[in-house]
Amino acid sequence: MEHMITAEHLTKRYRSRVAVDDVSFTASPGRITGFLGPNGAGKSTTMRMLCGLASPTSGNSTVLGVPFRALENPGRHVGVLLDAAAQHNGRTGRESLSISAQVMKLPARRVEEVLELVGLTPSEGGSRIRGYSLGMRQRLGLAAALLGDPQVLILDEPANGLDPAGIRWMRGLLTSFAAAGGTVLLSSHLLLEVEAVADDLVIIGQGRVLAHGSAAELLAVPGTQVQSLDDDRLGAALIAAGFDVAATGAGLTTSATVDDVGRIALGAAIVVTDLRPAANAGLEELFFTMTAQHGREDVSA
Amino acid sequence: MSAYRSTHQAVGTVIDAPPAGQSAGPRTAAGGIPFLRLCRVELRKQLDTRAGVWLLVAIALVNCGFIALTLFTADAAALTWTTLSQSASLGQLLLLPLIGVMAATSEWSARTALTTFTLEPRRTRVNLAKLASAGALGLIVMAVTFMVSALLNLVGIVWLGGDGSWALDWGIVGGSALALVLLVWQGVASGLAFLSTPVAIVAYLALPTVWTVLTLTIESLRGPAEWLDVNQTLNVLMMGAMTAADWPRLAVSLVVWLAVPLAFGLWRTARREP
Repeated sequence: MEHMITAEHLTKRYRSRVAVDDVSFTASPGRITGFLGPNGAGKSTTMRMLCGLASPTSGNSTVLGVPFRALENPGRHVGVLLDAAAQHNGRTGRESLSISAQVMKLPARRVEEVLELVGLTPSEGGSRIRGYSLGMRQRLGLAAALLGDPQVLILDEPANGLDPAGIRWMRGLLTSFAAAGGTVLLSSHLLLEVEAVADDLVIIGQGRVLAHGSAAELLAVPGTQVQSLDDDRLGAALIAAGFDVAATGAGLTTSATVDDVGRIALGAAIVVTDLRPAANAGLEELFFTMTAQHGREDVSA
Repeated sequence: MSAYRSTHQAVGTVIDAPPAGQSAGPRTAAGGIPFLRLCRVELRKQLDTRAGVWLLVAIALVNCGFIALTLFTADAAALTWTTLSQSASLGQLLLLPLIGVMAATSEWSARTALTTFTLEPRRTRVNLAKLASAGALGLIVMAVTFMVSALLNLVGIVWLGGDGSWALDWGIVGGSALALVLLVWQGVASGLAFLSTPVAIVAYLALPTVWTVLTLTIESLRGPAEWLDVNQTLNVLMMGAMTAADWPRLAVSLVVWLAVPLAFGLWRTARREP
């Protein structure tokens, strides 16, 4: 599959501080790639380098196979929302979009289309951005990103400031964008939000990629959870068979498969009352495990 | 709620791009967004904010004031198209450069640079479009001024017994138009160099004036001032009194007050992270 976004060994140094350190990953069409990390991990800096706003100290990146700065009329191919607050308060939402539409040479009605798409009414579109709530700014920013009908979306914390209904709405929007063949890279420190939409994950901490892969792979935890009428004897039998065993509040967790556990319990004539694959550890647990040693766990879930 | 309906082949919404579905690499081009389009967009951005509109209103008001002063206090013999145009130009000479300043600074104070430079990553072209459009705005304002002055010249002839000469002094006409463009560019350059509206405005207004005052008070600076005082050299240009010796002086003063800050500003904005 062709990679729509590629980061290769991106590194960004500000004087002595290393903000991004040898970050490599890809994002593929038809999938939502979640870019996850605590505050200050280097997510925004990486996205700014992807969009040509910051120059990497070393490494390079491409969008649609070329460096962003080499794209002709980039807005037609890549929708970017890096900071919803970065808008001129004295302009109306509609005027702000109209300027972008003029740069991209889009017809005026495209502005009305995206306003409707993001759920801003015509009268909201006609009022000055000064009076917008954070959620409305976020919707306007998404409208600007979608304006040029791009194949790729690069969104930095797009859920920021949206209410639960808004977050749900955006999730639907991004899912259908990806289902239509689009590529989405979205960053967040909201773990549950990313877990709900992302097909692939890039986890970053202190400027380094800590994990990169499909969400299913990263979240799957091999092993089995089992409860029986005699956990002690079952545990001993499992250890004897060469598996790891840990006692949990309710029964045992073991590295053996469900089949193995069933067979061993049968052989030892132990009555099993509960037997199932270990539950997904969940992104949150994975995330804290991955970033714990980096000491920036001040993350809200 | 609303699902994303586009298919990435929204032929109806796309005018000049290759169909996005054929994504096998037709997207790079050395050119970028056509320069004229960038200029039109930058001109629009200078005038679609309250600050821009109010500056134009203020220019009109100041000009009205000076025109009234000229019409009602000047000798009837001095009421000509040329003199009326001159007094009707003061507003823009004072205030239009501030639109130039804000064209450069508002991108960074309102942080719209983030959008501007993702839609056209070739930043220097955007900045040159700012210069071109602000200069064009100056010429448009000047043309309007001459038209309004022509009407007022008629008023002078009919009601005030004015001289009403239609002979334009082209030295003054061309000189003030050129001076206005240069002043607006000085504003843009100051904005690009400082990237902060208050600092850039103070620098644009105060620094040349401080220099002028210094040269007036310090005897030994008078010689260099003829070459380095942009107020002095532009004044000669506006009076339509340029001699062969004045052009090099104008050029040298513009290197100091326009070219150097502009070059620094272009260099700075090309690198800075929005």
